[in-house]
Amino acid sequence: MHALDFDYMLGLVPILLSYLPLTLEMAAAGMACALVLACLLAVIRVTRVPGLNAFALLFISFFRGTPLLVQLFLFYYGLPQVLTFLVAINGITATILGLTLHFSAYMAESIRAAIVGIDRSQTEAALSIGMTRAQLMRRIVLPQATRVATPTLMNYFIDMIKSTSLAFTLGVTELMGATQKEAAGSFLYFEAFLVVAVIYWIVVEALSWIQKWLEKRLNRAYQR
Amino acid sequence: MALGLSTSLGAAVAQADTLRVGMSGGYYPFTYVEHDDLKGFEVDLMNAIGEITGDDVKFVTASFSGLAGMLDSNRIDTIANQITITPERQEKYLFSTPYVYDGAQVVVRKGNDAIKGVEDLKDKTVAVNLGSNYEQLLNELPYADQINIKTYDSNIEQDVALGRADAFVMDRVSASQVIKDKPLPLQLAGQPFSKIENAYPFRDDKAGKALRDRVNDALAKLRDSGKLGDLSNKWFGSDITQP
Repeated sequence: MHALDFDYMLGLVPILLSYLPLTLEMAAAGMACALVLACLLAVIRVTRVPGLNAFALLFISFFRGTPLLVQLFLFYYGLPQVLTFLVAINGITATILGLTLHFSAYMAESIRAAIVGIDRSQTEAALSIGMTRAQLMRRIVLPQATRVATPTLMNYFIDMIKSTSLAFTLGVTELMGATQKEAAGSFLYFEAFLVVAVIYWIVVEALSWIQKWLEKRLNRAYQR
Repeated sequence: MALGLSTSLGAAVAQADTLRVGMSGGYYPFTYVEHDDLKGFEVDLMNAIGEITGDDVKFVTASFSGLAGMLDSNRIDTIANQITITPERQEKYLFSTPYVYDGAQVVVRKGNDAIKGVEDLKDKTVAVNLGSNYEQLLNELPYADQINIKTYDSNIEQDVALGRADAFVMDRVSASQVIKDKPLPLQLAGQPFSKIENAYPFRDDKAGKALRDRVNDALAKLRDSGKLGDLSNKWFGSDITQP
């Protein structure tokens, strides 16, 4: 057992922090794309668009049913051997693509559940006073569904931030990749991985505060 | 799509003067990172080669297990990570002339004198890096079925230091260097058990062949001028570039 090398840990903090923006950018881009795709999938599932519904089911089944790492390898290393032009996809894009496809499959299901969870009587009431289907969605169903889905969607975002640590297998030096390389140079594994763990932790903790604030805002209408 | 196609074509043309070199950044002292700086023997040597060929050397770091995939999918042009020439790899890739001559070395936790070399690995757990040729070297031993080989993506030194694996196998040079420079309780077990030659792999196509020839010319010049030996002495305190 050796004593912790605090000087090394302190020196590592600014170096590792310089890789945090890339980690957050990949997660944010993945989240934005995944939200759009997930909403689309959820609407297809709720309204049971013929043909598309079957596709959505297959999509969700595959991307929920296989590990993210397998999907990343499949897109980054596998597909370019079959379709050579796909080599133009770089590691960062491939990571964002992988996060998008993987997490949209999960998120689609929680959005669908939130929509389906809105009481049918509200739909009937809205239609009976002459609202169109689009108005019904925009004014009645989606605002309520957003409130219900927010906590789980934030959970997926947190998971997504941590999942960016897989990107080093695709040659992207993000927070975790930078740590692994520093640890390989110093052999101070405990120090290096402890520093990176605390960085991830602080980021996620900050997000939890944002989540609390967001939930409070969305709950305003329900407070008596 | 049109944009993607044009950039990939652009990359193919630019390849003549940009040499994309893959490495793990995690194999001390060949390639490692210190204070955000990529360093090591492989980095110095590749830069010296680039100076001679006039190529713009661009290092790409990725997990060791991802490097071969990157070479196959044309994302890098070669790998500088102590790649050992094997018959299987020769079938698939073109290799440069060897630039490091080394041996496979068994390393154990400090104080573990029960393992005195590769012959004592029976019934032991031995750690090797995923995709490295040491796993294959162990499998070629007559008592291979009695060795419990454990494959890792990284950090094999740490798992032996912690006692989770009884030994690991890597090249003698980096093993000695790790023991000398780093705070891990490890020791060499016996003599190297197999000769290995390290070289740069290239894709087996026309562009790969041209690149390989260019790199070979530069290697020969560096060898003749004594620069290759100097780099080895700088990093290892001995010349490991001679057969």
